[in-house]
Amino acid sequence: MAQALAISPTRMELMKLRRRASLAKRGHELLREKMDALIIEFFEVLRRVREVRAKAFDQLSSAYKSLSMCMARMGTIETQQAANESKRELQIEASTRLVMGVLTPTLEVRKVERSALERGYSLYTTSPLLDEVARNFEVSLRLLIELAELEESARVIAGELERTKRRANALEYIIIPRLLDSIKFIVMRLDEMERENFSRMKRIKAMMERRG
Amino acid sequence: MKMDRLLKVELERLNLHLPKERISLYEALSSAKPHVVAKNGSIHSFKREELELLGKMVGEEAQKKLRLPILISIEPRLGRGAARITGDVEVKVVSQLLGKEGRGDELIIYRPEIALLRRKLPTTSQYLFMCTG
Amino acid sequence: MSYKIAVIGDMDTTIGFALAGVTYVHVHRDIETTISKFKEFISKDVALIIITYAVAEEIGDELDRALRGKKLLPVVLKIPDKTGYRPPVDEFVRMMRRAIGAEIVIREEAG
Repeated sequence: MAQALAISPTRMELMKLRRRASLAKRGHELLREKMDALIIEFFEVLRRVREVRAKAFDQLSSAYKSLSMCMARMGTIETQQAANESKRELQIEASTRLVMGVLTPTLEVRKVERSALERGYSLYTTSPLLDEVARNFEVSLRLLIELAELEESARVIAGELERTKRRANALEYIIIPRLLDSIKFIVMRLDEMERENFSRMKRIKAMMERRG
Repeated sequence: MKMDRLLKVELERLNLHLPKERISLYEALSSAKPHVVAKNGSIHSFKREELELLGKMVGEEAQKKLRLPILISIEPRLGRGAARITGDVEVKVVSQLLGKEGRGDELIIYRPEIALLRRKLPTTSQYLFMCTG
Repeated sequence: MSYKIAVIGDMDTTIGFALAGVTYVHVHRDIETTISKFKEFISKDVALIIITYAVAEEIGDELDRALRGKKLLPVVLKIPDKTGYRPPVDEFVRMMRRAIGAEIVIREEAG
């Protein structure tokens, strides 16, 4: 039996407890609905994470390969030089969105793919292979930004799911049983007192009848 | 009692993400950074591709009527796994997205449909948890 | 609001992303320097830090500790380097298992 609350066995108390139990049950129902919803969200985000991750890492792998080829052709130092010369001011727009009460960042990038001219390295001293490498990494970057946003939202949702689960469990296994036990206790005591009262009344009545 | 207070806090948290005021699809489409502000002050941004998807589905008049985010209302008396959509434009748009029949200003949808709706409109739909009824 | 991107990895990784326009890059050589660079990136106008799995593993717990108490940004994303290295167990697999625990409980209750 769960530890009952220390309360006085009165009708008033019984009413209060019944109201609290009903509130707790309603709360538990709602938290379970919230958990259901969070689970739907979580599995959907996870599905997207897997999808985008596969694409992004594939693209990244091609990018690395093209970079190796370029360095073999152009030379490592020269490639590094070109990287230093490029325009490196890529901006991402960050905002927030809410998934059921928890904030998760949104990351959006407008333009990431550039033309060879726009990139800033000299076109005379570099190989066209370099353009390919830059483009490959630009495309990877776009996918990786999307992946980062998705992974972060998965983390946030998982955290909220844990929290909600703990609250729902506390209600189901501790709070509600405690309330129900207290209610049972009071009902029992009230019945007892009613019976005691009833038999006392009977005795008094019998006594009065004998006298009079 | 401490537990009751915790419960109250938790139930209030259920809907904290909901906006103080929703905006119309029309407004959102013409905004550079479409978003709503939640009751707790947080910013919730809408993704442009969702707005454009919705924009293609209804005419300008209806765009002015459609309020975002579309609310997926969880009401315990509907039973577990069910939710309600209200608003005639909202019902039209949601039933079209779900590929089901929908008329009038109310629609009940079930868990797999909720999942599908959330997949199609991740930022332009939100859950609403009804504590009463 | 506008932010920049930072990349931490080996030479190839940093060259590749620099060519793509990434503002801040750091080539990893020793743990201490990389950790302090990482902390520097956290406090800058950086919304995304991309780091290779290999370097992240070498740094270990220091990474998570540096992130403790951060608000929403920056987001940290781990990627494979040119060797394609990825750790055998993914954080998301672990997360999923815990969430599935919740899923099973719900299914049982629903009967």
